[in-house]
Amino acid sequence: MYQIYLFVALLVVGYGFGQLAERRHLKSLIEREKVANALPAIASRFPATDRAYDQQLVSGSVVIASDYFKTFVSGLINLFGGRVTPFESLIDRARREALLRMKADAQRRGAGYVFNVKYETSRIGAGRVPAMEVLAYGTALVPGTAGRDLPGEAVHASADADAAVPVSG
Amino acid sequence: MPPYRSAAEQGDRTVDYENRQPAEGINVTAGHPLRRFAVLVGAAALLVVVLVVITRFAGGAAARLVPFSVEQRVMRSLDIPFGDAPLDDPVRVYLDELAQRLVPSLGLPADMSVIVHYDSADTFNAFATLGGNLLFYRGLLERMPDENALAMVMAHEIAHVLHRDPAAGLGGGVASALVLAAVTGSVGTGAATDGLSRTGLLTSVQFTRRMERQADRVASAALAERYGHLHGAATLFEVIQAQRLPSRRPVWLERFTATHPLDADRIRAIEAHAQELGVPLDGPATPLPAEVVAALRAAAPAAEPD
Repeated sequence: MYQIYLFVALLVVGYGFGQLAERRHLKSLIEREKVANALPAIASRFPATDRAYDQQLVSGSVVIASDYFKTFVSGLINLFGGRVTPFESLIDRARREALLRMKADAQRRGAGYVFNVKYETSRIGAGRVPAMEVLAYGTALVPGTAGRDLPGEAVHASADADAAVPVSG
Repeated sequence: MPPYRSAAEQGDRTVDYENRQPAEGINVTAGHPLRRFAVLVGAAALLVVVLVVITRFAGGAAARLVPFSVEQRVMRSLDIPFGDAPLDDPVRVYLDELAQRLVPSLGLPADMSVIVHYDSADTFNAFATLGGNLLFYRGLLERMPDENALAMVMAHEIAHVLHRDPAAGLGGGVASALVLAAVTGSVGTGAATDGLSRTGLLTSVQFTRRMERQADRVASAALAERYGHLHGAATLFEVIQAQRLPSRRPVWLERFTATHPLDADRIRAIEAHAQELGVPLDGPATPLPAEVVAALRAAAPAAEPD
C-alpha cells in the first residue's frame, strides 16, 4: 500500500514543482529575451557584408530533465499516440534558454549579429527520467579589428566599430 | 516594446535584421495538464481492464477445451514432486480415502480423477493444481477440528479440478500476462508500467474470486449431500479469520483487491447456501481418525520449552 502512497506523492511533488519551475522559467525567459532581442540572431546563412566582421562560433546549451508527472503522462501517451504535450513546454523553454545562452556568449565577444543559427538536440540517458540537451549555435559577427578587414570592394570598413551594435528602432 | 531593428548590407542590398519577442503558447498544446492526466489514466485503465477481461476469458476458455487427459499426461511427464509423504503414509491414505468418498457427491466425471499429496511442512495451506493434483500441508490439517472441516477444504479443491480452474487460471493468466506485458512495455516508464500492471492484477483477481466462490458453493453442496448438514463448512474461514492480523485497510478495498473472497463473506455465503439447500448449518461432527491425529502430532516439531 505504501507504494501507492509513494507513487501519488511523487506525482504530486512532480506536478507541483514542475509547474512552479515552468512558471518561474517562463517569466525569466521573457524578461531576458526583451533585453537580448537587441542582438539579432538570424537563421540566414548569408552574413551581413556592410563592413568587416570577425566570424566566431558561439554556442549555448541547456540540459533539461522531465519531472515525475510529465514522465508518467508521456508514458501513457505512448500507448495511445498523439502529441506528447507534457514535453512541448519543456522543449520550448529549453530552445529559448539555449538561444539566450548563445546570445550571452556572443554579447561577451562584442558581436553585432549571430548568423546561421541552428539548434541541435540529443537525448541523454539519465535513468528512468528522460533528459535531453538543446544546443543552439551560430556564427557571431564581431565588428572587425584592424588588419582583419574583408578583402574586396564590397567592404565598407568603418572606423567606428560600435556602429554595428544594433540600436533600438 | 517595439522590436529591435538593425539594418545592414548584404551584398548589394540593405537588409533589416530583427529579433522579435517569441509568441507565447504557439509551441504548446492548449489544455490543463491535470485534465489530460485524468483522461489518459482513465483510458489506460479501461484499456487494460478490457484487455485482461478478454484474455482471461479467452485464455481460460481455450485452456478448458484441452482434454483433462492431456493435462494429466503433461503433469505425469513433468514429474513434479508434490509433498513429502509416501503413498502408504497414514495421513495420505486417509486424505485419499476422504477424497474418494467426496468425489461422487461432487459429480466428478469418470474421465477425471484427483491425486492427493501430503506434505508434513507447517504451512497453513492446501491447493489444487494441474492434472488433478491436490496438496495438503500438515499446517492446515493440524488446525482442522474435525473431518467435516477438512472435507470442506477437500471438496473445495476437488471442485477447482472439476471446474478446470487450475488450467483456466494458467491459460487465462499466461494470455493476460502476455497482453499486459505488450501494453506496459510500450508505455516505457516505470511508474506507468507499474500502475498498469497493478490494474491488470486487480482485474485478474476478480476472476480468481469468482472461481473461489463457485468452488465454495459446489463444496458446501457436496458436504450437505455427504453429511446431511453443513457443520464444518465455515470452519476453515473462521480459523483463517482468527489467525489473520487485523487489516487497517477498509473492507471495500480488501474485498476488491484480494485474490479470495473475504472470510466473512464466504461464511455468509455458506449460511445462505445452507438455507437454499434446506440443510441445517450444524450437525454432529465426524471426528478425524485417531491414527491420523496421532500421525499429525508425531510429525509436529516438539514444542520448545519457554
